[in-house]
Amino acid sequence: MTAAPHARPLRTWSVFDGVRRRPNEYEAVTGHFHYHFGREPAPFDLDPDSAINRWYLRYREGSPLRGVDWEGFRDPSQLNYRRYIALQHDREIYAEGVVDHFEALDADTDLNPAWVGILGRLYLPARYALHVLQITSLYVGQLGPSAYVTNAAFFQAADELRALQWIAYRAKSLSLTHGHDLADSTVARRFWEDDPVWQPARETLERLLLAYDWGEAFVALNLVVKPALDALFKTGLADLAQANGDGLTAQLLRDSGVDSARSQAWSTNLARHATASRPGNAAVLAAWERTWRPLAERAVDGLSTVFGDAPKAVDPADVVAAVGASSAALRASWAGEPHTA
Amino acid sequence: MPKLARSDWYDLARDTNWSFRYVSEQDVFPEELSGTGRVPSEGWLAWDEPYKITYREYVHNQVTKDTTTYSVKNAFARSTLFEKLDPGWKSVILAHYGAITMPEYLASIGEARMGRFGRAAAWRNTATFGTLDEVRHGQIQAFFPYGLIGKEPRADWALKAFHTNDWIVLAVRQLFDDMFVANDALSIALQLTFTLETGFTNLQFLGMAADAIKVGDLEFGSLISSIQTDEARHAQQGEPTIKVLADNGQKDWGQFLIDHMFWRSWRVFALLTGLSMDYYTPLEHRTMSFKEFIEDWVIKQFSDQFRDFGLEHPWYWDEFVSELTWYHHAIHLGVWNWRPTVWWNPDAGVSPEERVWLEEKYPGWNRTFGRYWDVIGDNIRGGKVEATLPETLPMVCNLCQLPIVRAAGVQAGALASAAPLRHTHEGRNYLFCSEPCKWIFTQRPERFAGHLSLVDRFLAGAITPPDLGGVLAYMGLSPAEQGQDATGYAWAYGGTANGSGARAGRR
Ligand SMILES: [Fe+2]
Ligand SMILES: [Fe+2]
Ligand SMILES: [Zn+2]
Repeated sequence: MTAAPHARPLRTWSVFDGVRRRPNEYEAVTGHFHYHFGREPAPFDLDPDSAINRWYLRYREGSPLRGVDWEGFRDPSQLNYRRYIALQHDREIYAEGVVDHFEALDADTDLNPAWVGILGRLYLPARYALHVLQITSLYVGQLGPSAYVTNAAFFQAADELRALQWIAYRAKSLSLTHGHDLADSTVARRFWEDDPVWQPARETLERLLLAYDWGEAFVALNLVVKPALDALFKTGLADLAQANGDGLTAQLLRDSGVDSARSQAWSTNLARHATASRPGNAAVLAAWERTWRPLAERAVDGLSTVFGDAPKAVDPADVVAAVGASSAALRASWAGEPHTA
Repeated sequence: MPKLARSDWYDLARDTNWSFRYVSEQDVFPEELSGTGRVPSEGWLAWDEPYKITYREYVHNQVTKDTTTYSVKNAFARSTLFEKLDPGWKSVILAHYGAITMPEYLASIGEARMGRFGRAAAWRNTATFGTLDEVRHGQIQAFFPYGLIGKEPRADWALKAFHTNDWIVLAVRQLFDDMFVANDALSIALQLTFTLETGFTNLQFLGMAADAIKVGDLEFGSLISSIQTDEARHAQQGEPTIKVLADNGQKDWGQFLIDHMFWRSWRVFALLTGLSMDYYTPLEHRTMSFKEFIEDWVIKQFSDQFRDFGLEHPWYWDEFVSELTWYHHAIHLGVWNWRPTVWWNPDAGVSPEERVWLEEKYPGWNRTFGRYWDVIGDNIRGGKVEATLPETLPMVCNLCQLPIVRAAGVQAGALASAAPLRHTHEGRNYLFCSEPCKWIFTQRPERFAGHLSLVDRFLAGAITPPDLGGVLAYMGLSPAEQGQDATGYAWAYGGTANGSGARAGRR
């Protein structure tokens, strides 16, 4: 086969026509992959009025979050698949080392049973919450208007599964020294379904599943609910675990916090990008933030009460204040205005 | 290593099913995205993935796979191996990248659909890994051809293709939108993972990887075999899904979805793999014919695996089996004839030795197809190449979007009539290439009716000027990108040498 005689050899994909800078690998395997966004008469080549075309036209193309060059957005971590996998391969080696260290010390044996009770009530049922964050992230990804958004959301979904699986691991290992109930799914499910401290969180997360507008789903998940729960668990509960002599739980939570920080970095970047492209988007984002903030706060209020019951207790009001400060700082980083409580 | 084995705790990571209190389950799993409503929620708790993997295992395995595959790519890029590849084989990989890279990436959306709207936590977790897998496949099959665009500008079609209206892309895009992008979670599990991935691609990727190594394309071979290991894992979502359906008295719905997609998978395989195996792959590297491949692998697979679940052969089985002898040969003639409309160089693959092989594998090939190639060969030797080029558009099927080639079926003795099948829906007339394509359409016309085929668009005035030049522009093919005969018509002059060097030199 003779190479087709182009006037000049291609420097990059022809679809990237007009880019000034040569794209890096991340961009070459991400840019303009969502050829279907904004396509006429419908995103996908079935009847334009078929169910999923209607769904995307309503919740993606029709989102009030609009008028943005979504191809112009970049994940600050610039993750494509192979970089994500290499990164998380290293993080899992680190986490395995942490677990090895504490298992070699037989550290679970020394835990105060009252502290283990706190873990059973707060930490182990968090599997349910993480699962909602995981699948909502898959929703944000499948509705994302560019592959730059979609892929970041997909990797985030996998990060939630990662955190969830370490909790499942801990449920089993704790049960070996502290009783079978800890590894009993029906027990964890009872906390999630019936324990009053969990109900506000459960309500918030169940409602999150119905945030079908992709822009709202993104704001509710990535800018409000997830950051609040991450602050509660990956900072608040991590500190509480440390204070109660449970270094393993503390370190696993903090390690997972690295993934949360990465999520916040791209999410705030995306919010700033959307506002910079169309100033009207600021009000759109703010309205959703106002809708979801009280739901996230109620979730945190409910769960924080457990902090007061730990052997080395923390005042629930302090937990609420710390999460509130963290949420306010996050909000200031994309909304650019000071938070007033 | 942490002391607990996967099996000690795995179930605790997939037990996150609960009853909704603050919202309705129906709203969480809308039928148009989930498709699981035929089975009550308790029924879905039995969903059990045969292949279990944890996040830790996943990232550790995948980093090794990526390291291996990308290092082969780097070595290949520094060599001159690509330049030395057989021209027919180059067509195989250019066609593959243009037609398959983007569907692989789109499959991540299909996997995420199951990951959100699948009805069991175990299923959603499995699909979460499937989502990552398909991002991998889309990205790696973009990055490899990206590395080739300096040597072969049409590698650009790995990304460009789906931004165009090329007729092959229209067919492939409409198919994969039907199969997994614009589909519900349950149907994706049955139609993508069970029918296409388990029934066809697993085997095809193994075969393609072996062929690639034989022709010296180590890069493509290692790429495809690495992808196949992921497919073999996530394809297993179909099995537990069909099992839940069957256990809850919904086998017929499963059978319907599989019948729908088995036919469509066959169509796209005939187009892409049929041409590759029987015409583009160098003769000395062919191990089996496309027909033998389908008989030995796909049909056997169907019998072994699908029937385990009490599924029957699709009602059109006889028509499918009889097409094995003629359909892809007719499509090959069409693609070669309309070669300016594709982004690779179709390899006629009908040198004297190749014709001997074709007649041996497909008795009667000379009588049915050879005589067309005789005329084409005469025209080429007589200096009338323009007589071998297209002037108008063919009729295309309103379901599969491929040319209607029933005349060849009549000549092969398989069909009684060459006339396209017709159907009227809400005042609009539709044409079909086959009974199954018509059946798929008429079962759920609202799914397909508003789509316009290339010919519909042409007739509606969407393509201007309404001539071949206009069509080529509409398809996004610059003159430099339009396909030409892969060997510069060497086959018409008795040129045989299916060896790379000799054929390339003839150009
Ligand atoms: Fe794939
Ligand atoms: Fe796949
Ligand atoms: Zn058809």
